[in-house]
Amino acid sequence: MPAAIEAQGLCKSFRTGFFKPGKTVLHDVDLEVPGGAVFGVLGPNGAGKTTLLSILTTLLLPDGGNASVLGLDVVNDAHRIRERINLAASSAHFLWYLSVEECLRFYGRLYGLGGRDLEARISELMETFDILPYRKEKFENLSTGLKQRLALAKTLINDPELLFLDEPTTGLDPVMAQHIREEVARLNRETGLTILITTHNLREAEMLCSEVSFLKEGRLLAHGRITDLQARFGLGDHVSLVFKDSPAALDYGRLPGVLNHRVEDSRVHLVVDRAEVRLAGIMAALSQSPQEVREVKLKEVDLEELYREITH
Amino acid sequence: MKLPTDFYKIYAFAYRSWLLNMRNVFAVFEMLFWPGVAIFSVGLLTRFLQLDPETVSFILIGAVTMNTVQITQLDISYSLLYDVWSKSLKHPFIAPVHMSHLLLGASAVGFIRGLLIFAVMGFLSMWLFGMDLSRPGLLGLVFFMAGLFFNAVIIGMLVLTLVLRFGHRAEVAAWAFSYLILLLCGMYYPVSILPPGARQAAQLIPLTYFLDHFRHFYGFPLLSPHPLMYGFSQCAVYLVASYALLNRTLKGALKRGALLKLSE
Repeated sequence: MPAAIEAQGLCKSFRTGFFKPGKTVLHDVDLEVPGGAVFGVLGPNGAGKTTLLSILTTLLLPDGGNASVLGLDVVNDAHRIRERINLAASSAHFLWYLSVEECLRFYGRLYGLGGRDLEARISELMETFDILPYRKEKFENLSTGLKQRLALAKTLINDPELLFLDEPTTGLDPVMAQHIREEVARLNRETGLTILITTHNLREAEMLCSEVSFLKEGRLLAHGRITDLQARFGLGDHVSLVFKDSPAALDYGRLPGVLNHRVEDSRVHLVVDRAEVRLAGIMAALSQSPQEVREVKLKEVDLEELYREITH
Repeated sequence: MKLPTDFYKIYAFAYRSWLLNMRNVFAVFEMLFWPGVAIFSVGLLTRFLQLDPETVSFILIGAVTMNTVQITQLDISYSLLYDVWSKSLKHPFIAPVHMSHLLLGASAVGFIRGLLIFAVMGFLSMWLFGMDLSRPGLLGLVFFMAGLFFNAVIIGMLVLTLVLRFGHRAEVAAWAFSYLILLLCGMYYPVSILPPGARQAAQLIPLTYFLDHFRHFYGFPLLSPHPLMYGFSQCAVYLVASYALLNRTLKGALKRGALLKLSE
């Protein structure tokens, strides 16, 4: 599938005052987001995630480099890009005096929609995001969760080909955050919609994203599939073997798939590339030894570990 | 422009502006309270000063003009200010809309509100203070209203430019800017009494010529030979210039990240 987003050497800095030097927020960022993927841009606060996303959504002009979204240049074809994308910001803000359905109607019309088609779309979205009972409720009276659901409904009003979600679960309770994540995953699964999501929530990225990029202080530190990045940084699943007495006398480093190992009293800690594939072979090798294994503990590698490895 | 998609985009801004006016008690206040206060206070002052009917009309025309222009331009200014206040400024701009959609939509509602103010204040002026609004004839009224409307759109666009350039700091311009213009163009007095520098500045404001033309129906001499021609010509130049300036400022805002900052 062709790339939905391609960026080369994106730079952005902001002036901090008349006589002060500008603050560089993005340094030479390259990015490629495949079509149909849920792509995560990860990084701590102030990493430049929102700046990058704002350039790609045509809300901010880059100082240098170039970027294309759906094959269109973000500077010269901004209007045509806007017809085909949409954005949900980290905290949902809309005009307080508009009701849920008026809000959706307003944004739908901004995309040139109207009449029965728009009304049908609004009803469908309100049902999908479970906000139909609040259709007459003013935005200012909605709870944070409802506001975020309305923001997500708004992002789909123009049936976009590419969706940008800027920290979509920030400020939500765990149940609502999980609901939103499931909705995002469902959208991608059922419609093939390309989604670029910025987050500093690693669990969220782990659950949703097929590929990720790590940003820190405006620089792209790593980019790729989570499993490839794990391999590149020597990170893997943890297998802890607890022996009844002393550990089996094996060269653990030579076992297939073992990236790292450490022997500690009666315990052996292994880091393997994929535990579910390698565990049978490890157990078979151990069965040749007279030492009895009392316990096997498994812990899958998480994105947090990868994040720590890359950003520190 | 291609219909109907452009129509829906304009209608979106117009309908939003309409809802705001219907639901905001201050917007209703702006339409009834202040214009009422203006007519009563100015009208009663003219009565106390025992002015002749022509001079009373001269002054009341100033009061009607001030409120009509102010209300009309406020609708245009509000079209972005409400997005700034609700921190939702980036949402309209992520949609495929041009400034022209926003301006046409907001101006349509501003025009209706301006027309309503003009009618209410005109009626009160006739009923309470004996002003004869039929003197300029229908065409005179239409030209004058058109002049007020174009001036309001120009002022509105300049306010939007200031908001996009200076953000919250420019909010006060929404109310102050039109008063400054009206002060120069002879709201309650002929521009001939202004000090020399201000008199020259008044000649650069199209509203000066529309007031000049309208007041001439009440027996006051024309200060310029072809006021309508000057007025509409200046309006055409300023409308094009202020639209270009607004778009340029929007581009600057996209470069500086102002849309994002104003959405935080």
